[in-house]
Amino acid sequence: MSSVGSLSGLPKGVFRARVSHPCTRAGGHGRFPFGLGQAGVHEICEAGHGDLAALTGFALMAANLREGPVLWVSQFGLARDHGQVLRAGLAQFGPRVDRPLVMVAAHKRVEALWTVEEAIRSGAVGTVIAELDGADFTASRRLALASSRHGCPALLLMPYTREGATAATARWRVSPRPSGPNRFDASAPGHPRLQAVLERSRQSPHLAGSVYNLEWNDETLSLNVAAGLAADTAPSREAG
Amino acid sequence: MWLPDWPLTRLHRARRAEPLAADAPFVLVDKTVHGLRLACVNAAARAHGLEAGLRFADAKARLPALTYEEMDPLADAAALEGLAGWMIRFSPLVALDGADGLMLEVTGCAHLYGGEAEMLTHISERLARHHIRAQLGLAGTQGAAWAIARHRAGVCLASDETRIGLAALPVAGLRLTGEALVLLRRFGLVQIGQLYGIDRKALARRFRSAEAAGAVLLRLDQALGQRAEPLDPLTPLPARTARLNCPEPIGSTQAVELGLERLAVMLCDELAKSGQGARGFALHAFRVDGAVSSIATTTAQAIRTPEHIIRLLSEKLDEIDPGFGIDVLLLEARRTGAMDISAQALSGDLAANATDIAAVSALVDRIRAKLGEDRVRLPVAINSHIPERAEARPRFEAGAFGAEAATVPMPVGPRPIRLFDPPERVEVLASVPDGPPVRFVWRRLTRRIVRADGPERIAPEWWRHQPAAPAPVPDEAEAKWLTPKLDPRADAELIAKARARLQAPPEAEASQPVRALPRARDYYRIEDETGHRYWVFRDGLYNDKRGGAPDWYVQGQFA
Repeated sequence: MSSVGSLSGLPKGVFRARVSHPCTRAGGHGRFPFGLGQAGVHEICEAGHGDLAALTGFALMAANLREGPVLWVSQFGLARDHGQVLRAGLAQFGPRVDRPLVMVAAHKRVEALWTVEEAIRSGAVGTVIAELDGADFTASRRLALASSRHGCPALLLMPYTREGATAATARWRVSPRPSGPNRFDASAPGHPRLQAVLERSRQSPHLAGSVYNLEWNDETLSLNVAAGLAADTAPSREAG
Repeated sequence: MWLPDWPLTRLHRARRAEPLAADAPFVLVDKTVHGLRLACVNAAARAHGLEAGLRFADAKARLPALTYEEMDPLADAAALEGLAGWMIRFSPLVALDGADGLMLEVTGCAHLYGGEAEMLTHISERLARHHIRAQLGLAGTQGAAWAIARHRAGVCLASDETRIGLAALPVAGLRLTGEALVLLRRFGLVQIGQLYGIDRKALARRFRSAEAAGAVLLRLDQALGQRAEPLDPLTPLPARTARLNCPEPIGSTQAVELGLERLAVMLCDELAKSGQGARGFALHAFRVDGAVSSIATTTAQAIRTPEHIIRLLSEKLDEIDPGFGIDVLLLEARRTGAMDISAQALSGDLAANATDIAAVSALVDRIRAKLGEDRVRLPVAINSHIPERAEARPRFEAGAFGAEAATVPMPVGPRPIRLFDPPERVEVLASVPDGPPVRFVWRRLTRRIVRADGPERIAPEWWRHQPAAPAPVPDEAEAKWLTPKLDPRADAELIAKARARLQAPPEAEASQPVRALPRARDYYRIEDETGHRYWVFRDGLYNDKRGGAPDWYVQGQFA
């Protein structure tokens, strides 16, 4: 475990850093340094159509959810196209995401956004996770303001069509990668791997464009930067 | 309360914009098995000697200028129910009485109007103002009130005067029909009072049918209060209500909201006094023109917080149609019950561990009020192996949210993060029949499988399976009829085949594939070239005698 001093560049409370920053270490491996679900609004988007399962997994793998129940808002069309979230599937991500769960079915985007804002303002839930088909800048600004005022974090899971400006703390773009080697059966999938791109970051714009190749270890319940894969940097976009 | 010619009244009220001429003879006709008959006649038609029950052809012959319309019994019943809803402003217990009457239980309500006679006058004035023809009677029993409304309208009978008051009324006032009425008239018993003196057994013996005798005695007993007759109210008696009489009719939403605020405080005070809370609230707005519009909401937990009630109901205030003005507002508490008041920890650190169920319920109530009653769900594990059955989503209940069900074992194998329900069928190429797929087409895209893991076999839950009814075996007569009657010399082969089919032993039939039987599923976790991970299953095995070649389905996606 390296020193916490390398984290000083990161603002407090926004990213909850657990261990060292990957870029600071040779070989580029170690634990994924960011924790979602502590503060602010995070947008997590598909890289291409069909990646919603991967990004749902990423949100839960990287999450270190606050105490209190989770309100999971699901827009009807997304749940129909990509399947609905299973409680039994959530349980495999360990105690950091094992919270009482309340599901809300929204039919339209405005309903989903209204529910997210209402839940953030109510202070009754620990985290709001919403899967919806998009959000414009105004909506993200509203949610970011509400979240900073009431201290309730929100994770917005959105399809690949979500682009453009945002007022959210960060936007991640997630796609699945071929899984790691399986120790017991070479023909079976091993630890799931993902690629997460930090596309925009309001608090630390210099990190925008960082690419993380991640591997989820379901035995130690940890999300690691995959060894042997270069944590290369994508061309940086303008931070919104 | 009797509404004579209610269908006509309803039609007049429905056609307020272009009223029917009052002095022209007008009838409503009803289609019966014996053709068109008059069902309702107005005053002008009655003056010409037309009566309900007359054949329409006869009536038209007598009065060629007769105008008519067809009855609409459904609309009449709906309108009567609407009127009954409005009558709740006078008494909470209102029941429908046939197709043209209403029954109000006014015990304990009359003093609000200064007495029973005053209440009767008040109601009839209100009805007359809306051009509703009504005859009212008030008595100690439903039977007596029914008789008085029809035969001595406007009279109030005290409970101890029932016997004397009814004596002079005709026996038709006993709610009798058909044979019983005809026989009583034949006996010369025209007034109710004449029945008092007759020995019950002697009276019963005179009727040929036991039903008619029973009906006469029952109705007499009910009218005199010797046999109980429970009222079947339109809406159950609300546990608690708060009522606001507006000094003058209000028409704006803001005014209704102000009224709601006062009512909520009143109602919550009432609930607090008895230590109760309620899980449902309804606001009824009684309009001056004889209609009522209502909004209702439910909560996940018993509450008595005025702000919360106001917030939930004000989402729906737009649905209240003030019409020409609202003069009475009524807030009703439903599903009341004891409320547990648990003290919240004052320190935030202590409270952080426990979920604040009251706060979550309040949030859920607001979401429900905005989005709809059944949008908020609670995932609950069910003890079932079939993945799509293993998780139920009942509506959110505060009680269920607190108690976690720990009795259901977690599934053994890996479960996907997103599940398709129902599973989606795919075209599959498998290298060996019992192995994982090599390639599959899902949503029109061909995906090449690189790695696969499995199978995890999930057997069908045979205890849940209802065997289909066996195919009916033709009995002897049917078999004879089914046997083709052909010339035996011409078609010997065909007949032999048909015979063989009919006489085939049932064992042979059972060996035929039965499609309805559920099949075992083999689940594989597979990964394609791009890294997408799926959960697919083969529905059945080869040669399991439960259908043809098994189909493949995608049921979920892994992270």
